[in-house]
Amino acid sequence: MNPAIEWQLNGTRRHLLQTAGLGIGAMAVQSLLARDGLVPVAGGVSAAAAVSARPPLLAPRAKHVIYLHMAGSPSQLELFEYKPELQRLHLQDCPESFLKGKRFAFIRGVPKILAGQFRFRQYGESGQWISELLPNFAGVVDRACVIRTMQTEQFNHAPSQLFLHTGTARLGNPSLGSWVTWGLGSLNENLPGFVVLLSGGKTPDAGKSLWGSGFLPSVYQGVNCRASGDPVLYLGDPAGIDRRTRRRMLDTLSAMNAAEFARSGDPETQTRISQYELAYRMQTAVPRVMDLSGEPKHILEMYGAQPGYTSAAESADDPRVLYRGDDPTFANNCLLARRLVENGVRFVQLYDWGWDHHGSSPGESLDETLPIKCQASERAIAALIRDLEQRGLLDETLIVWGGEFGRTPMMQNNVRTELQKGFVGRDHHPYAFTMWLAGGGIRGGLAWGSTDEFGYYPVEHPTTIRDLQATILHVLGLDPQRFSYFYQGLQNRLIGPTDEARVLEPLLV
Amino acid sequence: MIACVLPGGGEQLMRVAFLGLIFGLYQPLAVGDEPLRFGRDVLPILSANCFSCHGPDESQRKAGLRLDLEAESKGRHGGGIPIVAGNPAGSTLVQRITSTDPDIQMPPPDSHRVLTEVQKGVLQRWIAEGAAWGRHWSFESPVVAAGVPGGSAGIDRLVESRLSARGLQLRGVADRYTLMRRLSLDLIGLPPTVAEAESFATSKDPRAVEQLVDSLLSREEFGEHWARMWMDLARYADTKGYEKDLGRTMWPWRDWLVRSLNQDVSLDVMTEQLLAGDLLADAGDEERLATAFHRNTMSNDEGGTDDEEFRSIAVKDRVDTTLQVWMGLTAGCAKCHSHKYDPISMTDYYGLYAIFNQTEDADRYDDAPTLELLSDEQRRKRSELQARQADLRVRFEESRTADAVGDDHGWSVLSLSGGKSQGGAQLKAQADGSILVSGVRPVEDVYTLTLELPAGVVTALRLEALSGAGASVPGVGRNGADPNFVLSELEAELVTGGQVQRLQLVRPRADFEQSNWPVSAALDGDLKTGWAISPRQREPHAAIFELAQPVPLSAAAELRLVMRQHYGNSLTFRQFRWSVHGGEAAGLQPLRLSEKTRGLQAELGAVSEDLATVGAGVSKVPVLAALSADRQRETRLHRRGNFLDPGDAVQPSLPAELRFGFELGDPPTRLDVARWLMSRGNPLTSRVWSNRIWSRLFGQGLVETEEDFGALGSLPSNPELLDFLAVEYRQNGWSLKRLLKVIVLSRVYAQDSGVTEQLQREDPGNVLLSRGGRFRPGAEVLRDQMLAVSGRLSLKRGGPPVMPPQPDGLWRSTYNGQKWVNAEGEDRYRRGLYTYLKRTTPHPMGTTFDGGSGEVCQIRRIRTNTPLQALVTLNDPTSLECAGGLAEWMSGESENRVERGLRRALIRPVGQDEVAALERLLSDVRVMFEGSPEQAVALLAGARVQCPATISQAEFASLVVVASTILNLDEFLSRR
Repeated sequence: MNPAIEWQLNGTRRHLLQTAGLGIGAMAVQSLLARDGLVPVAGGVSAAAAVSARPPLLAPRAKHVIYLHMAGSPSQLELFEYKPELQRLHLQDCPESFLKGKRFAFIRGVPKILAGQFRFRQYGESGQWISELLPNFAGVVDRACVIRTMQTEQFNHAPSQLFLHTGTARLGNPSLGSWVTWGLGSLNENLPGFVVLLSGGKTPDAGKSLWGSGFLPSVYQGVNCRASGDPVLYLGDPAGIDRRTRRRMLDTLSAMNAAEFARSGDPETQTRISQYELAYRMQTAVPRVMDLSGEPKHILEMYGAQPGYTSAAESADDPRVLYRGDDPTFANNCLLARRLVENGVRFVQLYDWGWDHHGSSPGESLDETLPIKCQASERAIAALIRDLEQRGLLDETLIVWGGEFGRTPMMQNNVRTELQKGFVGRDHHPYAFTMWLAGGGIRGGLAWGSTDEFGYYPVEHPTTIRDLQATILHVLGLDPQRFSYFYQGLQNRLIGPTDEARVLEPLLV
Repeated sequence: MIACVLPGGGEQLMRVAFLGLIFGLYQPLAVGDEPLRFGRDVLPILSANCFSCHGPDESQRKAGLRLDLEAESKGRHGGGIPIVAGNPAGSTLVQRITSTDPDIQMPPPDSHRVLTEVQKGVLQRWIAEGAAWGRHWSFESPVVAAGVPGGSAGIDRLVESRLSARGLQLRGVADRYTLMRRLSLDLIGLPPTVAEAESFATSKDPRAVEQLVDSLLSREEFGEHWARMWMDLARYADTKGYEKDLGRTMWPWRDWLVRSLNQDVSLDVMTEQLLAGDLLADAGDEERLATAFHRNTMSNDEGGTDDEEFRSIAVKDRVDTTLQVWMGLTAGCAKCHSHKYDPISMTDYYGLYAIFNQTEDADRYDDAPTLELLSDEQRRKRSELQARQADLRVRFEESRTADAVGDDHGWSVLSLSGGKSQGGAQLKAQADGSILVSGVRPVEDVYTLTLELPAGVVTALRLEALSGAGASVPGVGRNGADPNFVLSELEAELVTGGQVQRLQLVRPRADFEQSNWPVSAALDGDLKTGWAISPRQREPHAAIFELAQPVPLSAAAELRLVMRQHYGNSLTFRQFRWSVHGGEAAGLQPLRLSEKTRGLQAELGAVSEDLATVGAGVSKVPVLAALSADRQRETRLHRRGNFLDPGDAVQPSLPAELRFGFELGDPPTRLDVARWLMSRGNPLTSRVWSNRIWSRLFGQGLVETEEDFGALGSLPSNPELLDFLAVEYRQNGWSLKRLLKVIVLSRVYAQDSGVTEQLQREDPGNVLLSRGGRFRPGAEVLRDQMLAVSGRLSLKRGGPPVMPPQPDGLWRSTYNGQKWVNAEGEDRYRRGLYTYLKRTTPHPMGTTFDGGSGEVCQIRRIRTNTPLQALVTLNDPTSLECAGGLAEWMSGESENRVERGLRRALIRPVGQDEVAALERLLSDVRVMFEGSPEQAVALLAGARVQCPATISQAEFASLVVVASTILNLDEFLSRR
């Protein structure tokens, strides 16, 4: 190593220790120190070290997260919430008490109660009620903790997704995945620490900000790995440049940059040399992990995955009209999620668009579209749980499933006031909805909380988005109250400025 | 963590960050025996550790104690006095901070705040020295010490005095080539040509540098470069944001910005135009266009959203952005509670909000109000068509009236015996039996009418909406900008001798219905639906409502009608007439027109279409427009920031402790805010802006937290220099060009940027400015430089944004059919500021190099150094095409191709070892391409070049590889 650099690094390291002696109270510094050891951490500004693994502050229960977000928000009343009372009151006027002072996105006037559209049964040792639409998931329900009483503060898609994933409905804050990668780094320096996989044909409503790094350095933003084209933007060398040529070129580049460093003494130059080398390694590592063709047949079948498949829905103007239930894109993403986690990726975020079942236009109904969406996803989700388990990875991987809010017990009535096949729908419902957690640190087979007989409000254990965020951080060994980043005069936290968030201890083993 | 947000990066800067943290917040800046200063040494400790419970935020205040106020801190509180001047031991503050008893100790252990021994020492020493109070440093007026020379020499003096205290001196001046490239990249965002650099380097003219600076400042590229900084601040984007993220025309504002910067419009004038151009006396299109600055806020077109919610978010964004951009204060937290550290209470926040709350815009789909930018020819044509339209309308109306007389068989016009408008408008009966509405124009209204019913049978009611050919604003509604109406609900009652009978109306029909706004919706009991008639707001319309049961009247009676109109935006009837029919209702038609009337109607339609064509393609830019005096919104606190939970009413005001002697006008307007920001007493604006400019030239600000000059921001590394620049900027008449000239002509700016071992030791982060700045420029400069060197750059100016190549499949917003189509021709190679910016999916080159999305105000870009950046400059088609361009240029040189190519990029004369390294690469790669010619063909195709006849294909392809290597050199990617 160049002595000058050695000397700089030493200086930095020494300096960090000095600051420790001064007892700087800022949480951020403590976490920095906690992850010291490699030191040129450089606050993510540069260097592989910025994304290299750092020990968490609390004992972690999981090392990875796979977050399955069903954008649009699936109906809890068709999937998890068995409510015979809705059958009884089917198509009767909704009680006035549910409407008073409430704002709805689309419901107008007095809507009618809508019965659950599918049959329910109890499954597993835990005897949880699960809909007939989730036959495979029902088989692994004892691994999952189903939270029936989720509540959120927003009732439009984009703000609600932002609130869920960044802790605020406004823009500009880092996403959960960015927070976690900032806090813990990645376990494989040749792969991005935070990977985003999309399906369903559209970007989730709030767009790229859902995996943006907000005020954290941009190195922590999620990297969208894609099914067609380069899996990471610009990953492939241009046609005509083979690996040998690229290597030869980088050798010259490194030598000339090293000479520049000798002239300028700017450590950024040194960092740039290493980032080019890292990019070179990523060019091999990312396609390798993204290539499903080496997976054995029984695994592909287990998920319902098809290597190399590019869905027409992914480039359609309105992908919903192409949904048939046989599109393997989401299944491929689930399998990729396993491979990414296996290779040390810290946070894998899946977004599957097309779950907004209002029943007001074709391709968005509970009676026709929801079964198709379930068919295209629930087998892969069950497979993901089983596959992680058989590889011993389930214990160290937290899986989260859910939408950004739930759906009303009432039928949506702004377009059609009578029930019509293919147009049965429910409006947005922020007061009670279902999500589930599984894997690392989670008590499987638990049904957490209960709602009233309409599924309208929680009766027991209302659970907020903030609680969920706090719990996810906690499971990963990050103290949600203290895990913060100083920006614009504030210690910003994922869980927001108030201390309402509670870690859901009873859900944890 | 301050370390992360430091521009520059690298281990070395990391270290600086910590130094900043320590010196900035935790260690006295005072040297030796110099007395401690409250604002600089003491207040930062108090605000970071005490104010969250003992500060301005009343909701969090503990024990009723405020340590942010001198009188309270030095007065009796509980059993003691927190601060007793000259007596540390007698001060309860000292007793508490030095206690080890967890019940007594401050800050309390559960606050996770810990005072260091150094900090405790500072507080004790300050009390011992007399506990002199003051304000936060940035709230005091900037002052320049006597004896500091003006201009560039002043900068040199103030930097040298800090350096000499450490035994350092200014580093030598960078060589002429480096200096020229630096000046060129900094001032116009483009590199010089080798020829320009050569002529500059060899010039013997002592004024060569100044002449160069003057010529760069006068280039049109100057405005384009500096506009980008403004666009970040303004959260500029070409789309509306949120879920649908549809396109929006903002580029005329961007062009306005470029023009203003090139004309060096002073910051005070620009500020008035940006915030309140519409309110200026004799405001023209140019001033109104400026106000699009605050229409860069996002609009949410997602179905089912509450427009008022997103309107209020936009207004808050305007307040936040204004304070951020001009005063470097973060007010965001005061939306929900009083600021914990800076003197901005919740009432202060909503006082400012109240001023910004008085504009027309309301999160509408069409982004109204907008400014149409018409050419003179378009203007002429439009007025011609409008005159013709007016004439036709009169004739049409006459003809229709004549028809109506003929068609009125069986209809009896009802006369008004009493009419009331819930919103306070006047309802007056006219000679033709119609009712004209005038006076105040409420947003929503309910007309309650009592009409005289003659004896006989009533089977149907007819409502005619009259377009009023003679009216100043022809149209059936009262809102001149959109003379539509929405009849939300209609109710009818029969009053006979004191008996009231509700009449059931059925089978409604109208001559015309707006899509999704049928007349039947006026009878559905739902106030959110109704009958409307856009786009035919300027023609008369009629609707017939049958009675479910014909009503026989033996004697005269009264009909009471309630016309509910709740859409908002004053979409209410302007003039209308009610009639009744007594015959068979089934066959009645709302309007029956004669051939002549139909002909006129067709002509009128054609003229309307022509008018629309004149307007088509004309840019409509969202702008600010003040609400008239009778339509001012009342502002209330939003409890916990929630607009649905209004608290006390708030009057428009400036933050009480930050007025700096400025008095608001009556009524207070946005123009007052602009004048307050630029007022002589305001100590923040000049500091914030000069710091911002400085940071663009040195890679980091004198105040590192450019976005926060408040209590928790970092302290200036050289406060005297910051104040000097602040005073200089104001005194030079707020001229950006003059300020830039003063800075870049200083020896401090011109220093060599190389690091020596001594400098590394004494000033690792260049906080003392012991050398020139070396840093990677932003995404746009990198792009523009690469294009310039390749010879592909188009300098086409202004106009709609363009779409340089980006990978397929990125644009996938929901419910949005807009497509990214890779540009061909010169639009493929325009400067970076012209690239289309879609908020939910910005171009990846921008975001990879730290650019923002335009969703929120971006005060500075946090500079990063990542592998994804390497992938962009190596593999992005634009990068490859630039390598192709450079290779093509090299191939045109008769000799020393590699050397000349390298020089073209780096500008300076290049060394033989560098050339040799590239020559070796060239020959090695050539061998490879000779072995696989198809690879050469593929590469040349991707680089969009054709092999000239003078050179072999393998040689040419190898030149592309060499060119790509050159364009990826660290030196090329750095401004040094």
